[in-house]
Amino acid sequence: MLQEEVLHMFPESMRARWRQAAGQAEGLQEIRLRAQAPAMVLLHNREWFVDRAGKLTDRQPVGAESSPQELEEILAHLCQYSLYAFADEIRQGFLTIQGGHRVGLAGQVILEGKNEIRNMKYIRYLNIRIAHEVKGAADSLIAYLYEKGQVLNTLLISPPGCGKTTMLRDIVRQVSNGTVYGRGVNVSVVDERSEIAGSYLGVAQNDVGVRTDVLDGCPKVEGMMLLIRSMAPQVLAVDELGGESDAQALFTVSGCGCRIIATMHGNSLEEIRNKNYMRYVMNNRLFDRYVVLGKYHGRCMVREIYDGEGKQCLN
Amino acid sequence: MAGCVGWGEGKIREEKDRVRHLRELIRIIRRIQEEIRYGKRTLPEICLILSEYSDPWYRPHFRKIYEQLDRRNGTGLNAVWLRQMAFCFQGVPLQEEEKDVLIRLPENMGIQEETLQAENIGLSMDMLIRKCRQAEETYQNKSRVIRSVSILTGFLLTIILI
Repeated sequence: MLQEEVLHMFPESMRARWRQAAGQAEGLQEIRLRAQAPAMVLLHNREWFVDRAGKLTDRQPVGAESSPQELEEILAHLCQYSLYAFADEIRQGFLTIQGGHRVGLAGQVILEGKNEIRNMKYIRYLNIRIAHEVKGAADSLIAYLYEKGQVLNTLLISPPGCGKTTMLRDIVRQVSNGTVYGRGVNVSVVDERSEIAGSYLGVAQNDVGVRTDVLDGCPKVEGMMLLIRSMAPQVLAVDELGGESDAQALFTVSGCGCRIIATMHGNSLEEIRNKNYMRYVMNNRLFDRYVVLGKYHGRCMVREIYDGEGKQCLN
Repeated sequence: MAGCVGWGEGKIREEKDRVRHLRELIRIIRRIQEEIRYGKRTLPEICLILSEYSDPWYRPHFRKIYEQLDRRNGTGLNAVWLRQMAFCFQGVPLQEEEKDVLIRLPENMGIQEETLQAENIGLSMDMLIRKCRQAEETYQNKSRVIRSVSILTGFLLTIILI
């Protein structure tokens, strides 16, 4: 299935080349395509070049450079020949494709005014991140997220690439379906970057549970308010908090009696506490659990769990 | 006499068909523009919509395009679209430049901004609308003439034969 999804990312003329890499899709993490440079894949945390015949090699192959036209063809294919439909995503530098995979884009940015990105042209760098849904990723954690059958307000903290979103997705799925610690509840997800549910044409590509509603592509603050009004969730999940307005929205959501499960970039609880807007959140005990994730020997794992007062529950 | 009237009706139907196809072509292009502009739908999605809400003549062809693109066998839009449109316009009483508006649609894709993309697709709309108006007038005028001439010819032939 995943093998087909990887192969489907490429137009017919290029599929033969990508067959070998796609054959190892389960371990495939990234496909990097750059104009005038050979294609590379990240497979089981190891980098490989892909030569013209599609063979994976650790030496830089000759004549395996991708041309700008090839990249444009791949992009058009990924966008189903409808670039306008992905304009907002392209502006943000990524797009989510069928299967919930994420394609990072870089090229020449066209600005509107001084700082606002209007468009991107000459897209010459693609980073295809293969989504791996890990069902059960939150198994070791889930017991700490309930108290008397109720879901606790939880913040997942981790540096990029340590499995925050994967963990959040699995927590959402389990909370929605119900666990031995609590019955299933209605969960709403604000999926600003289509990473949690990996929605494609409005349909969640990842399993996010039977009682989960997904608001796809919506900014967090607006999305949280909209879902509270429209879907009456018991739990609201949001990825990558990152500003004062997000923190304020959390208080509003919490004031409505809705539980929150959120993620945030950071290395430790201390680092989070040092952010001004988070200090207020923490002092007011908005969250009951802080879960710090990290990598150990290349594997993503739960490093620490704290309660609302910052006392360790697990180390 | 029946033969002459039948021939005349056939000619009129041909003109009527041309008007019908031109009107439908305009409707299809407008629908594509609206779906792009307001719905930001992708082209395969638009084809699916058109396979349900266009003239029955066009429906199976749009369905086929949608299915082929959705099957994701990697064939490019250009190839799929051209092949299917060639089937679609077989025996349709339209001129080449009129058919080209729809046939060459993929060439006008690839713009990132939806309003501009919609406008780009509708660049030949003025020509189509003008042609449609001409065809309607021709149909109205010709149908009267053809009907009268065919009946008269029928009468004449009948008298001569008698």
